[in-house]
Amino acid sequence: MHSRWTWRILSLPGVAWLSIFFLVAFYAVLSVAFGNQDTLSLPVPFWNPLDWNVGYVLDALRNFWHGGPFLIVFARTIKFVVIAMVLSIALGYPVAYFAARHAGRWKGLVLVALIVPFWINYLMRMLAWINLLAPDGLGTKVLHHLGIERAFLWLGLLAEPGGWLNGQPTTVILALLYGYIPFLILPLFAALDRIDQRQIEAARDLGASPLGAFLRVTLPLSVPGILAGTVLVALPMFGDYYTADLVSASTQTNMIGNQIDEFMRQGSEKVTGAVLTMLLALLLLVLMFYYLRSTRQAGAEASTA
Amino acid sequence: MDHPKDRSRLSRRQFVRLAAGSAVGLGAAGALAGCENTTTPIGAGGGGPAGAAAELVVGKPTGPGGLPLPRPDNAVTWAITDTNEPIADGRPAERGPLRVYNYADYIDPALLKRFEKQYSTSVQVATYNSADEAIAKLASGAVAFDVIIGLSGSNIVDLIAQRLLQPLNHSYLSNLAKNVWPELQDPFYDRGSRYTVPYVVWLDGIGWRNDKVKEDIAGMPVPWDIFWHAQAYRGQVGILDDKRDALSMPMQRDAMRTGVRPDLNTEDAAVISHAERELAQLGAICNPKVTITDYQTLPEGKTVLHHSWSGDLLSAAFYYLPKGVKADVLSFWGPQQNGVVQNDFLCIGRAAKSPVLAHAFVDYVLDEKNAYSNFVDFTGYTPPQKAIDAEALIRRGLIPKSLTEAVVRPDQFAANQELLQLSVTGERLWDDAWSKFKAG
Repeated sequence: MHSRWTWRILSLPGVAWLSIFFLVAFYAVLSVAFGNQDTLSLPVPFWNPLDWNVGYVLDALRNFWHGGPFLIVFARTIKFVVIAMVLSIALGYPVAYFAARHAGRWKGLVLVALIVPFWINYLMRMLAWINLLAPDGLGTKVLHHLGIERAFLWLGLLAEPGGWLNGQPTTVILALLYGYIPFLILPLFAALDRIDQRQIEAARDLGASPLGAFLRVTLPLSVPGILAGTVLVALPMFGDYYTADLVSASTQTNMIGNQIDEFMRQGSEKVTGAVLTMLLALLLLVLMFYYLRSTRQAGAEASTA
Repeated sequence: MDHPKDRSRLSRRQFVRLAAGSAVGLGAAGALAGCENTTTPIGAGGGGPAGAAAELVVGKPTGPGGLPLPRPDNAVTWAITDTNEPIADGRPAERGPLRVYNYADYIDPALLKRFEKQYSTSVQVATYNSADEAIAKLASGAVAFDVIIGLSGSNIVDLIAQRLLQPLNHSYLSNLAKNVWPELQDPFYDRGSRYTVPYVVWLDGIGWRNDKVKEDIAGMPVPWDIFWHAQAYRGQVGILDDKRDALSMPMQRDAMRTGVRPDLNTEDAAVISHAERELAQLGAICNPKVTITDYQTLPEGKTVLHHSWSGDLLSAAFYYLPKGVKADVLSFWGPQQNGVVQNDFLCIGRAAKSPVLAHAFVDYVLDEKNAYSNFVDFTGYTPPQKAIDAEALIRRGLIPKSLTEAVVRPDQFAANQELLQLSVTGERLWDDAWSKFKAG
């Protein structure tokens, strides 16, 4: 009894912090999205849900429905994020697996190596890539000499030699991948590291091949880690706008975050910016619920297995 | 107006709140323009035809609260009201500190240092990223700035409507009449320079690397056409990331082709969306970047052809050239007429704590030597001063001949157009077109 109250009190500041900076802030976004604009085009939030004005939200939905710019940008954003996510899993899983299973006494070092990128600010890392991928940049030269550039050109993933920064979707996706992959590897590593080695040994003893043991034991048990990592990577990617801005700046690679940034930073349509923010948050909320449900199911399956 | 956003009907309560939310009693806005007791009413602001006669005139778009939108053919005198009068003559300067509100890197720090020394005061600069941000912060009243730098004709009506500025007392500003171009002594957007004085001017044009771009852009009949023939420079082309600058570029191109003077402050939906469609064609032709970093990317060779502000080419030449790249590889072309010129202001905040010191500062910036050093030592943006002369700058080796046109001349300023504040409806048309373009 005593300790429960201690924890309740200790959790208060954190709960208050989250409430103010998430719930209140999100409610403010809703109030603006369902609000109106004054004669100076400044947003006027309607705080009382009974007063809410659906005009702007309907406008935005109509824009989607008729295949307007919002739909184009949303579709592009989903495409970029899904590709970056799949690549993250494909590249990140083996790394996490190696770190958890085979690194042995190097495990600590491998972990540090995974965390090191966090020491440098995301923006700084992106700015570094701008110089590396410039037409005469070191990265561009290396990619050229390794034949990777030619492969990308041949596959149609790059428009012209040395043109990595020329507004290429490929570069934006690779930059997203590079920027966020550590967020996927860490929870995945934790999940793989927790798997009881004896379960795998039991599978092998009962005649499973190494591949069979992996597919039937390790992979299912690591699903919560994959999901957690995917969510951690997908959420910030969906809201990202500076990556596309820095490594491309072309309208052909603008993501929904760029569109929101545009509306919020200048011009007469801040309410529309709030509407898009809300719609994006709704999409993420759906993904989040799916994640929670899947982890609960995966957890249940793992414990009954 | 019949805009979808206005369709949702407001309850009376909401309406009252909305009116209160706009922070200013806009009902009284009419009193701010035109008919003011000390001057002749000018422009359409105060009294248009009333009653039955009103139907004989096509109405002009108006700004917030029905305030007139200044245009060269619709000059506006902003009133000086009883509650907001200029400071009295002959007062000593306050001790400060002087609070300046400005874009980042838009005034020479050495200039500020010298001012601090001369007036034994300190200057504190706060910065903003966009005019919208600046106006919102000024309107919130959170900070009382003495001097506001960088706002322009595209914000003037908001500044007046929200009563954010205090009128200037010209007895402290002797350098205005002495040094500033006659064209900007009594501008149409603020007759009598009651609330603003010009800081720097610039021109929208084309910046390019003449060692990489083979075409003789300045020699083309319509230089803007280069963007629509830039297949060879795909991915290394840039367009200014600003809805007004960018969308008015195809409008200027059309004007040069047809010889018809464009209205770059148009509120005609068809004209705006036509411009958007033409600009969007560039995606397939040269996949332009939409940025304002040309002052860096052109000298570094990351872009070779850019829709540019004239001042950025000069600052590129002054600071951003990598080792081994000479300034004369940079070229600039700007239109002689029917293009975009702009003019940023120096203003004094309504709530200034040190208004006399603020006047002293404004006059200090308008000083010939100070304006010159701020230009060539730091900003690259032309101060509209009688003494500035591109030929003299070339002779002194400060700028290469290829950048002559990046120094704006008074006749050029007069023959081009300023991008000015639009009505709310008009602004939304530009915003909609711009978001469509940005969606790619």
